[in-house]
Amino acid sequence: MPNSRDYMARLGFDAQELSSRRHFFQLTDEDLARLAALRPFAERHNDAIIDAFYNELLLQHPESRLFFTDQAVFRRAVTAQKRYFLQLFSGVCDLDYMEDRLRVGTTHQRIGVAPKWYLGAYAHYLRLISSHLFREQGSSPDSELSNRSIQKIVFFDMSIAIETYIAAGVEAIQRHQSAIRELSTPVIQISERVLLLPLIGTIDTVRAQQVMEKMLARVVEAQARVIILDIAGVPVVDTRVANHLLQTTEAVRLLGATTILTGIRAQVAQTLVQLGVDLSTMHTCSSLQEGLEMALSMTGRAITTRGA
Amino acid sequence: MTVRVLSHQEMNIDNEDDVVLVRRAVRTLAEARGFDSFAVSALTTAATELSRNVWVHARKGKAFIEEVTDGDRTGIQVEFVDQGPGIPDIEWSMAGGHSTAKSLGLGLSGSKRLVDAFHIESEPGKGTRVRITKWKRF
Ligand SMILES: Nc1ncnc2c1ncn2[C@@H]1O[C@H](COP(=O)(O)OP(=O)(O)OP(=O)(O)O)[C@@H](O)[C@H]1O
Ligand SMILES: [Mg+2]
Repeated sequence: MPNSRDYMARLGFDAQELSSRRHFFQLTDEDLARLAALRPFAERHNDAIIDAFYNELLLQHPESRLFFTDQAVFRRAVTAQKRYFLQLFSGVCDLDYMEDRLRVGTTHQRIGVAPKWYLGAYAHYLRLISSHLFREQGSSPDSELSNRSIQKIVFFDMSIAIETYIAAGVEAIQRHQSAIRELSTPVIQISERVLLLPLIGTIDTVRAQQVMEKMLARVVEAQARVIILDIAGVPVVDTRVANHLLQTTEAVRLLGATTILTGIRAQVAQTLVQLGVDLSTMHTCSSLQEGLEMALSMTGRAITTRGA
Repeated sequence: MTVRVLSHQEMNIDNEDDVVLVRRAVRTLAEARGFDSFAVSALTTAATELSRNVWVHARKGKAFIEEVTDGDRTGIQVEFVDQGPGIPDIEWSMAGGHSTAKSLGLGLSGSKRLVDAFHIESEPGKGTRVRITKWKRF
């Protein structure tokens, strides 16, 4: 879980972004001063607004209610919401403020509150604030301006939270992808001294590195003598993949073991020849079966038919 | 021999995943047009090499994938264009076994052998343009 500082940096939330965003949202120093002046109002109405927010909206809505089945979770959310509400009226909008709003996004992403709930809830929240404001201060040019300042900062907040929500989602996907990558490069122990590495899918730079490191570690750990690299599942064997195979073979050789390349389709064989790739430093077999037999005979074993 | 373009597709290459996307697009088209599996392998491998060259040596560029006909045959033509550093000595780079990237240096020369027509032009400081064509065999 990256911390919010990292996120700030990664999303480019710096002083310049802050000022350009404030400019775009027309969130001026006067707005902030007006919000600060509304602080006593906010303190007077905090409980009423937040309680109404939870009781009228969230708890009436079956899907939102599911987030709050636990009383402790509910109380914590209400407390956080009250703190959040007062911050709107702090009169400060700096990088710390931004970071705080960013956490709203990462938290929502983590617990699975989709933007539609967030936006819908915020719209309701905003209506609650306005009606409390106009009820207390009446409708006047002054309260209109106050209301506008509140709207600006709320939308400013939402922009940060939603951007972060999306970025956190993308990161989650990337984490899953790297997990899948790891999963998709299993090193299988065939016999005491023989390892099998079935390569599947596209071998990009990152994966090539991972595969190589993982395999070399296993070679040492298992004191393997023979490593079978099966490329039947690799869609295209180009110079990049060939280079990777050659380097792996060389590293394996330095560890005192031998590599056998299997699963070479006829099309791949012809393509490699035309490319001019020389794989003569590797033992090669067209099928995995043959490769296994070769590996076992190299380690003084054999596949035999029972009872023969 | 006049070559007519039947379909045209344009793809950006500016990260490593794009190399895979270009390759997939070329493979899909070649398979859909009934190229035999050896030709599909040759063409997709050449397309992979050349789009990776764009990515590795020029950092960004484009691939234009075209389905063409010369009246009798259908073919697939792919052009790779970048505004990267260019190749100072094409002969040296095409000789095979020469690489400025500590790789095998077989991408260009190998691609040429994998296709029916290969055209390269490059100017240092301006960029590189490589066009390959593979005709469908009967
Ligand atoms: N698009 C390009 N822009 C600039 N230079 C290029 C480009 N394509 C190729 N080159 C130059 O030509 C050389 C040979 O290219 P080639 O594809 O044959 O080998 P490589 O990319 O170095 O290694 P590999 O065998 O992995 O492809 C490269 O090392 C590079 O110097
Ligand atoms: Mg290359």
